[in-house]
Amino acid sequence: MSLRFNRRSLLRGVLGGGAVALGIPTLDLFLDGHGQAWADGARLPVRFGTYFWGLGLTDTPAGGTRWVPKTTGPGYEITPELEALRPLRHKVSVLSGFRVIGDGRPNIVHWTGHASILSGVAPAVNNRMDAPSFDTRIADAIGGGTRFKVLDASASGKVVSYSTRTGAAFATPETTPLSLYTRLFGPGFQDPNNADWKPDPSIMLQQSVLSAVGDQRQALMASVGRADQQKLDQYFTAVREMENQLALGLERPEKCESCVVPGAPKSSIKGASVDVVNANTKAMARLLAMALACNQSRVFNFVHTPGASETYMAGASKIYHQITHDEPTDTRLGYQVETSRLAEQVMQGLGDFLAELDAIKEGDGTLLDRSLIMAFSDTGYAKIHSIENIPIFLAGGAGGRHKAGQHIAGKGDAVTRASLTAQMIAGAPAGEFGVGGMRTSRPIIELMA
Amino acid sequence: MSALRRLLLLAAASLAAPAPAMAAWTRAFAIEWYEPAMYYGAQSGVTEPGTDCPAGTNPEPDWIKVLTEAGYTREQALWLRNPANPTRSPVHGQNQMAFRGAGRANVYIDPTSTPDGGLVGVTGTIGEGLDLDGDPNTGFVGPAGERGVDNAFYRTLGCWKTFRGPPRLSSGALQNNDAMRDGAWTVVVVVSGRGDDPMNDDDVTVGFYPSGDKLVKDAMGGVAADYTFRIRPDRKLEALFKARSVNGRIQSSRAEEEVWLRDPGAARDLQLLKARIDLSLKPDGSLSGYVGGYRPWKPVYDGYVRARGPVIEALTWVRLPDVFYALRRNADYSPTGPTGEKTHISFALRVDAVPAFVVPPDAKGTARPISYKKQAPPSGQPDSTADRLPFNVVDGIVIPRGAKAVSQPDSALLPPSTTGAGGAQ
Repeated sequence: MSLRFNRRSLLRGVLGGGAVALGIPTLDLFLDGHGQAWADGARLPVRFGTYFWGLGLTDTPAGGTRWVPKTTGPGYEITPELEALRPLRHKVSVLSGFRVIGDGRPNIVHWTGHASILSGVAPAVNNRMDAPSFDTRIADAIGGGTRFKVLDASASGKVVSYSTRTGAAFATPETTPLSLYTRLFGPGFQDPNNADWKPDPSIMLQQSVLSAVGDQRQALMASVGRADQQKLDQYFTAVREMENQLALGLERPEKCESCVVPGAPKSSIKGASVDVVNANTKAMARLLAMALACNQSRVFNFVHTPGASETYMAGASKIYHQITHDEPTDTRLGYQVETSRLAEQVMQGLGDFLAELDAIKEGDGTLLDRSLIMAFSDTGYAKIHSIENIPIFLAGGAGGRHKAGQHIAGKGDAVTRASLTAQMIAGAPAGEFGVGGMRTSRPIIELMA
Repeated sequence: MSALRRLLLLAAASLAAPAPAMAAWTRAFAIEWYEPAMYYGAQSGVTEPGTDCPAGTNPEPDWIKVLTEAGYTREQALWLRNPANPTRSPVHGQNQMAFRGAGRANVYIDPTSTPDGGLVGVTGTIGEGLDLDGDPNTGFVGPAGERGVDNAFYRTLGCWKTFRGPPRLSSGALQNNDAMRDGAWTVVVVVSGRGDDPMNDDDVTVGFYPSGDKLVKDAMGGVAADYTFRIRPDRKLEALFKARSVNGRIQSSRAEEEVWLRDPGAARDLQLLKARIDLSLKPDGSLSGYVGGYRPWKPVYDGYVRARGPVIEALTWVRLPDVFYALRRNADYSPTGPTGEKTHISFALRVDAVPAFVVPPDAKGTARPISYKKQAPPSGQPDSTADRLPFNVVDGIVIPRGAKAVSQPDSALLPPSTTGAGGAQ
């Protein structure tokens, strides 16, 4: 009898006359000396997520800023609007000075910025991208073998996602903690640490139903126009992912050391005031983090607030979007005071989000250490819808691939350099990214281990 | 004499001989920034008092007061302004703000249905622009002491937040120029003269034209010089001036009866009557100065209505009907004569342009400052996708296509908890 164990081994024996098998948690035995890879050389899975918030951070027309650190490289100083990142700054890289190069295409306000970051090309029209969002590349590369190839969530109650495979149809996010919980841990969820696992016969029935429509699916695709084909393609992608989920439901899930199935959120509040959005962000971050830890997914997209953010201070009569435009720059202080105050609140959402990922221990580190989160916005200086100096952050160690905790000054480079860097760190097979003036094969090597 | 020596002597002689007079010269530019010439009289900031606006910028209206004075209850007003009200779009504002005229008339299309709230204008004596009427006793005194600067547009709107600020720093100029610099439109300038010295020439012609080629930014975010632009002929947008240059300053030698430019503002199309220029060739090769004339004031107002009344009012701190009244009150020119209706208002643009290569519509050779209107397609061409609003604006508010811009019923003006099932949803 072999006594050599690996992470896929089961403890087998006989109990009460019947054979039993018991999974094994992630033991140090199975890890390398740094706790970052399986001892057989395969790395622990890297998780990837995008985090979007609307309206950028606070610059001034004369060149001042409330968020860009003065120093570059490791050990950057914390600026007022980065205060929420202070506890994790050694795990967060700040990317400033990157811009959209539109190649003559106009700035479609509250769209061009993040559409360019995600698709690599300035969009021609509003609410469409000219290429798939790059998170789908990463999902294709690392998202297989999990129940959800990619997860989408939105914290402001709005049905907003910027993840697209076609450029025309976008993912449908969960918009409350309760709906996200139900999707992740409701019907269909199988506790990976449940020793008494059995395949669900109802799943087999569903799988056969889905397979049966294959011929009609092809016939339908052939009979519609291009626009509908794009919609159907996105839809059938979702169907294929569901088939994948069902197939996985017939397999015994691998044990997950850090997976602790959470309880259902007590209630879900939909609202746009920043306290509600941040509360939802924190609650949804906790659920997403546990979904990653329980190996339900490895890729997610999270929208804190949409481009023209409608969040507001509770009790106020103006929304953030309006304030960025109508608030004059304070002459003495040199910046928009209320705008900056809201930016700090919005950044608190990101700080809380990352803290939830960092709270889950995995190996000798945390879930955040094995993840890469790319956080970004739609604008730089929101008052004029600037698409220069769009704030971008890369957070998490990505299993040792990200040399985190640095400030990189882009000096007018295209935002796609950040996107390419994220793809390469996350494990997508990307050698270049972007189109025209934003086409690049130069990742930010200072950030890559 | 050796052949080499003869060659050298010939070369020296050719260098010493007077050069033949140049037939003409041409300079071309791309406008990298232009904005209404609004003299700024404060030390810094936007709202602070200054010699232009002693009380500072017009303050933000108390919208609750505005609504209650328009006949809404305080409870209705508070709910209409509440961000949690689902009828208040975070992007397009609260449509109901339009309906505050007599009998809930739409004040954006019927501004006289509400009283004039009194937009405070400039009371300072210094102004930028041009002497349009030839009378040094009317208008402002220029920053350099020149007299007779006619700019009633500035007098009317110079204390409105969207226009106020140091050069290139007012919020309206920043927003509009950022759009242009990001590719929404391009204006090129072609200057030529018949003499041999661009700095001093009695016969200069200056042309302003649209181009379909987008501005290009350099690594520092400025507009890059020396790119090539092709004139896009347009049946309307074209401005030709006759001028003379003295020490590099190019001033109109006559007033042009009518020219059209791309407006760097909400009106989009800018007609200028009795138009003039005062531009300077700079040592670095750039071009700066003023273009002015009498512009029709009603399209200015209509432009702001078209830009979505509730958005303009909220972001720029103004009641749009006050803008209507103020422009009408200060209009100072009538095309039909001194006794005619004052449909136009004196106005000037502050212009900065970088050197560029400008070619004619057929891209053959170098563009000259002549009219290209006859080469324009009959129907004209849209400026760009940015000029086509991605939403449906009717009577100053955004509504679904096919719908009508009408006031909500009273039953929808209170939160659902107050009105039950019949409330705003």
